[in-house]
Amino acid sequence: MTFLEIMSSPILFVLVGLGVLYILVFCGITLVRSYRHGLAIGLSKEQLRTAITSSSIYSIVPSISIVVGLISLSTVIGVPWAWFRLSVVGAVTYELISAEMTATGAGFADMAALGASAEGASLVGTVMFVMSIGIMAGVIAILLFGPRIMKGVSGLRSKHGAWGALMTGVLSMAIIEAFLPLQLVKGPVYIAVVITSVVVTVLQLFLIKLTGWKWWNNFIMAVTLLVGMASSLLWTNLLG
Amino acid sequence: MDKKYERGIHLIGRIGLIIGIAFMLGIPAVISAVYDVWPSSITQVMTIGGGLLLMFIPTALAEVISYTPVLGSSAYITFLTGNVMNLKLPCVINSHTLTGTTQGTDEGDTIAAISVAASSITTTLIIIVGVLLMVPLRPILTSPMVATATSYLLPSLFGGMVLSFMNESCGEYIAKGKNLVMILPLVLVFVINLVYPLSGKEGFAVLACMALNVLIAWVLYKKNIIKMVPKDAAPGKSE
Repeated sequence: MTFLEIMSSPILFVLVGLGVLYILVFCGITLVRSYRHGLAIGLSKEQLRTAITSSSIYSIVPSISIVVGLISLSTVIGVPWAWFRLSVVGAVTYELISAEMTATGAGFADMAALGASAEGASLVGTVMFVMSIGIMAGVIAILLFGPRIMKGVSGLRSKHGAWGALMTGVLSMAIIEAFLPLQLVKGPVYIAVVITSVVVTVLQLFLIKLTGWKWWNNFIMAVTLLVGMASSLLWTNLLG
Repeated sequence: MDKKYERGIHLIGRIGLIIGIAFMLGIPAVISAVYDVWPSSITQVMTIGGGLLLMFIPTALAEVISYTPVLGSSAYITFLTGNVMNLKLPCVINSHTLTGTTQGTDEGDTIAAISVAASSITTTLIIIVGVLLMVPLRPILTSPMVATATSYLLPSLFGGMVLSFMNESCGEYIAKGKNLVMILPLVLVFVINLVYPLSGKEGFAVLACMALNVLIAWVLYKKNIIKMVPKDAAPGKSE
């Protein structure tokens, strides 16, 4: 059997299917448990539904981009393993890099060369183990340090009153501070897309204020993402 | 936070991760056994994967330290299902904004867990549909237009998230002047990136920005430039 034949085998499909089913069960348990806890601590059903609806709607567009990545990754490592890697821990960029580094580490020019070679099949186990182990650092780190970090944040907040609330409140701002400038320096199309997204968000907030359609809040991020990405086609033609 | 719930959420999270790890290593093990394609030795795996580990371990550690304070207990599912920056963090931040909650509180932590779980379920189901419909979808999803649009996902995302960060809500307080904290870190990241490209090192940049944010917030708070007003005492909402 060749590398890709093993990587597309029915048994791998079954194993990956079980792995993906496990992810759905784990998420389902967390969702139900947290929803019940939310009600118990006084969060309203509307708040809880807003979190579920807005997150689900927002996730559709980025998930489609993951399916795009799935198509390219599946040509390199087969459909089932690509499916598993993108459902558990992985992101397309990491998976493509890790597959290529594994191939070059094994002495091949790239994954295509490994797949085409007669010895490729004997490296199936190595490729799969390396790809799994390489991405596991984050999972192990959260296993070891996660509770300590979480308790640290909630402890800071409860012990220091108003200052504690401010201190923990400014932490998330670091996300936009670290990522936004790096997008803006990539070129005029990136800048135009960022500005488009800001304008689209403002217009939607204005629409909600004007019409009182609070339910539209659930769609703001998804619509912004879609329009922003679509606008890149226009900006690429004009500025690219 | 309710101690019983807190213990439970950490226990379930950790067990969930351990089972996830079992799948990550178990699937290669079963395939290796069935097709007799075991790695020749652990040394072979470490030699081939050495570069990968050296590249990803520091980044992964930086991401865990920087994103966990924002994610709270949802970090367990987040780091198991991946796509932290493009999916899970935006969902959490957006849900916090929409529900008027903040991380570090029981309410904020619960909303984060619900958001990440809902997002992960949606993504997992869409990927399943993608696998089932891969043949008919391939020509559409690999068209040049879709390829261009998907490459601009992150600028669209950050443009959309800017306003989520520009509110003065801090849980049970309104932090008047809080947005001033962002100015210096934004400028610094911009300038540092000109001399030392930060692409691929975003996890470290987030960590540094977090420390800087706390420092700037402390100075502005002590100088009374940032004023913390309890929400029930504030004349109007600022969200």
